Amino acid sequence: MSTATELPAPPTVPPPPRRPGRARGSLARRQALAAWAFMLPSLVVLAVFVVYPMTQALYLSFTEYNVLQPARWVGLENYQRLVSDPAFHNALLNTLYYAAVTTPVSVALALGLAILLNRRLPLRGFLRTSVFLPVVLSLAIVAIAWNFLLDPNIGLLSYWLSKVGIVSEQGWLRDPALAMPAVMAVGIWKNVGFYMVMYLAGLQSIPRELHEAASIDGAGPWKRFRRITWPLLANQTMLITILAAIATLQAFDQIYVMTRGGPFFSTETVVMMIYRVGFTEFGFGYASAMSWVLVLLIFGLSMAQMAYFRKRTVTY
Amino acid sequence: MAATAAPAPVGRSPGVVRAWRALTLVGVLAIAAVMLLPLIWMVATSFKPEADIVKFPPALLPDRVTFEHYREVWQRIPFARLYLNTIIFAGGVTLISLLLDSMTAYALARLRFPGRNVVFVAILVMLMLPFQVTLIPLYDLLVGLGWTNTLQGLIVPRATNAFGIFFLRQFLLSLPRDLEEAARIDGASEFTIYRKVIMPLAAPALLTLGLFHFMYNWNDLLWPLIINQDQSHQTLPAGLALFMGQHVVEFGILMAASVLALIPVVLFFLVIQRRFVEGIATTGIRG
Amino acid sequence: MVRRALAVLAVAGMLVLAGCAGRGQQSEESNASGPVTLKFWNGFTGPDRPAVEELVKRFNESQDQAKIQMEIMPWDVFFDKLLPSLSSGTGPDIAGMDTAQVPQYAVKKALKPVDDYYTQSGNEADKLIPAAVQGATFEGTKYSVPMNFTTLLLYWNKGMFKEAGLDPERPPANWDQFADYAKKLTKDTNGDGKPEQYGLAIADHETIAMWPILFWQNGGGVVSEDGKKAMLGDPATIQAANHWVDLVRNDKIAPIGLGGADADKLFQSKKAAMEIVGPWMTTGFKDAGIDFGLAMPPAGPKEAVTLGTSVGFTVSAKADQRKTEAAYEFFKFWNSKESQVYWSVHSGFPPNRTDISAAELKENPYVAAFAAPADKSRFYLSNVQEFQKVNETLFEPALQRVLNGKANVQDAFGKASSDIQTVLDGS
Repeated sequence: MSTATELPAPPTVPPPPRRPGRARGSLARRQALAAWAFMLPSLVVLAVFVVYPMTQALYLSFTEYNVLQPARWVGLENYQRLVSDPAFHNALLNTLYYAAVTTPVSVALALGLAILLNRRLPLRGFLRTSVFLPVVLSLAIVAIAWNFLLDPNIGLLSYWLSKVGIVSEQGWLRDPALAMPAVMAVGIWKNVGFYMVMYLAGLQSIPRELHEAASIDGAGPWKRFRRITWPLLANQTMLITILAAIATLQAFDQIYVMTRGGPFFSTETVVMMIYRVGFTEFGFGYASAMSWVLVLLIFGLSMAQMAYFRKRTVTY
Repeated sequence: MAATAAPAPVGRSPGVVRAWRALTLVGVLAIAAVMLLPLIWMVATSFKPEADIVKFPPALLPDRVTFEHYREVWQRIPFARLYLNTIIFAGGVTLISLLLDSMTAYALARLRFPGRNVVFVAILVMLMLPFQVTLIPLYDLLVGLGWTNTLQGLIVPRATNAFGIFFLRQFLLSLPRDLEEAARIDGASEFTIYRKVIMPLAAPALLTLGLFHFMYNWNDLLWPLIINQDQSHQTLPAGLALFMGQHVVEFGILMAASVLALIPVVLFFLVIQRRFVEGIATTGIRG
Repeated sequence: MVRRALAVLAVAGMLVLAGCAGRGQQSEESNASGPVTLKFWNGFTGPDRPAVEELVKRFNESQDQAKIQMEIMPWDVFFDKLLPSLSSGTGPDIAGMDTAQVPQYAVKKALKPVDDYYTQSGNEADKLIPAAVQGATFEGTKYSVPMNFTTLLLYWNKGMFKEAGLDPERPPANWDQFADYAKKLTKDTNGDGKPEQYGLAIADHETIAMWPILFWQNGGGVVSEDGKKAMLGDPATIQAANHWVDLVRNDKIAPIGLGGADADKLFQSKKAAMEIVGPWMTTGFKDAGIDFGLAMPPAGPKEAVTLGTSVGFTVSAKADQRKTEAAYEFFKFWNSKESQVYWSVHSGFPPNRTDISAAELKENPYVAAFAAPADKSRFYLSNVQEFQKVNETLFEPALQRVLNGKANVQDAFGKASSDIQTVLDGS
């Protein structure tokens, strides 16, 4: 894939003559030391407050643990159970379905909106704010609002839509066929602004001169997008796609507040099941095993995404 | 500003231009309406008397406007105290996190050292485990440290964030490599380079990340509620949750409280949004 | 260079920690001579909260041996928080929870048996409603003291009855009338298949138990009262289920897929004419301008019974003698006549005592109605250890499948019943 048009080379100062070998080595050592020093505070916090609980969770996945009584070692039993558990398969399928739809749609919408809102447009600030506001709203409160709006009998949206002939007899959140799409729509609605803002930050760093030069050369908007914008946004796209995939594969909040995984588990994702098994059925060992399977899945997917993007991202 | 204004298309009649502009306006308003509908409902509901909220046929705007919910909020919960606690919590986490995240991201993006990728991947993995399983071990750890019901217990576990590190790393990777070379050769310390060369350029990303951290922690219900044992330490979401009864939700006052709780984050966003417009993002490409 | 970074960090860190020096962890110990501090958690958010807070305040002010420190949060967060705190020993001394939740904690030895509260003279435990005391019992031992108790009653919208040609003062008294009235009250005026008005609002998930009442009235149920046998597959249950599922699916007397809150909103917005629910909706319905009546749910072929439900005070297994005694003092105060009158009038829940007359409660006219059927009330899934698993994972999804036409009652309930039996046997 061709990269962007050559950027004007920044002025460089020719390095003063140095003794090779030793100086090189000491520069590298200096950098390495500095790097670790920079990372130390984060790494300490992460090690204590993230890695340590994670290893606990890993240990628990080999036990039967109901929190109130000591954990009982069961070896691989939890994992074996997962292989044949239809509830887990259901959750896995729902999760993949949710992620496979929500991620590309969110990313594409975010990019489209960012590009749209990067140009001079009337009410641009207002629109940027409106797209971003759902991100800022508390999900629990917003769920109440959506429940009111989507109620098939007394909801505002249902009422308006019925006037144009769109009627859902049972309701978008209560109909097993429509519940997942409804939850997806709310998930996209809530998060697209988040990704849009990240794209905006990236778009802002594409120098105007590139577009100007290209359009003087006769390149239309689509060509400019393909040759300039898209490649230079590759870092953002990689970030956003990976983040979106990680987030959607762990979808929980919007499902918990809107459907609790219902009707009869048709919207239950893996994390929703982890919560149910762990917190309401006191099966923490099993829940931990489930989460580690999820981690493997997400990890595999993320590595694949990173490999895909590595060839395409621009790093100076 | 780095945005382009498309050069005026040659040969378009003013009528067509005006039609496009009108269409764009309609499109903009339509998008805004979809995104804002729940918020509009929330605000409208906060001004409706409670008896008017659940009824059929439903109406978006209030028939009778009342301010009683906004008044009652201050009496029913210690709203000012909750606000303060939440500012301290969200603000504290944001500031500290920005510092730590940016330092780590700087190392991962701008410094060469063996094991760089391993550290990065390890940090990425931390994003992948749902908090539901680490909550209890983490809570036990905090109890062991004696940090429940303390400010440090609330903030330190969040003092750095895998997402923030990832986000900033990506951003920093896209800055030209040679930026620091000159300074390094001149003998500047890494910290000076970090502080004086790179961080100023990362301002848009830092602001964005700051907004995300602030907003996430501002709205977080479970974490502060679990760590705090004292009503006087509670944060806004916990206060708001007091209006959600098991059977009866007090919609009017809940919406009023939510609207009030929204304001700081919205303000934060509006401030950043303007900075985008002013285009701080003239990055070091120009040398 | 690097040192500067570390220095900045160290200073920042110290400032944070110094700032926290003042806020230490709440000490759970009380010195021997001061008042005992009792941590009390419960989920009475919403409009119930003021009444709870007032009673706690009165208790704290009425004596100085014990001081209640209360934390209120929504029920789901309550249980999320309870679990880790119990495991780490930082939990509450008194936890108010629905009696249905008590067994799973009792069985894991997290709660202290409180039989001695009931036998201690002076606590007036004999004045407590027997149904509530029964609800506080698990496998013969009492693990809680009633905090609240209520039954569910049939609400009917008198105005809508009149419009449908029914006598607004005569609610349905049996199943035949119930079905008949519900059909008459269901109206699909524009013929699009979706009624504009429903005869009944009944919830099938995230709700106080409504469908189980129908099963009981036919002699069926979900689990036997001793918590040992799954009854979901019994012919009586299946018959009742078929009867009502048919009415819902074919005659559309009620919408499918309602949660408890949805059902309340439906009645409140006058789109449903009847609902079986608790006293918490009286204010909302009244303010909506509905002229409603309250009656015992229509009697079934075998029984006239309704749901009894109760939140009880539980005592942590880790509470020492002093704290337990102080807790008992609080329970006694809470269930005293004076407190109960205040509680009932202000929360709308019937009193926990049998010796309060309707006249004393006249400030809240509905309370007496909810108190009346106490001996005709039954608790849902009493003596069942794994309440959530049986109700939310096995029963409700089966019911929802049936209502959505994905399975017939025989198959779905039969399978769920055997799954439930497995759970009951395993615990």
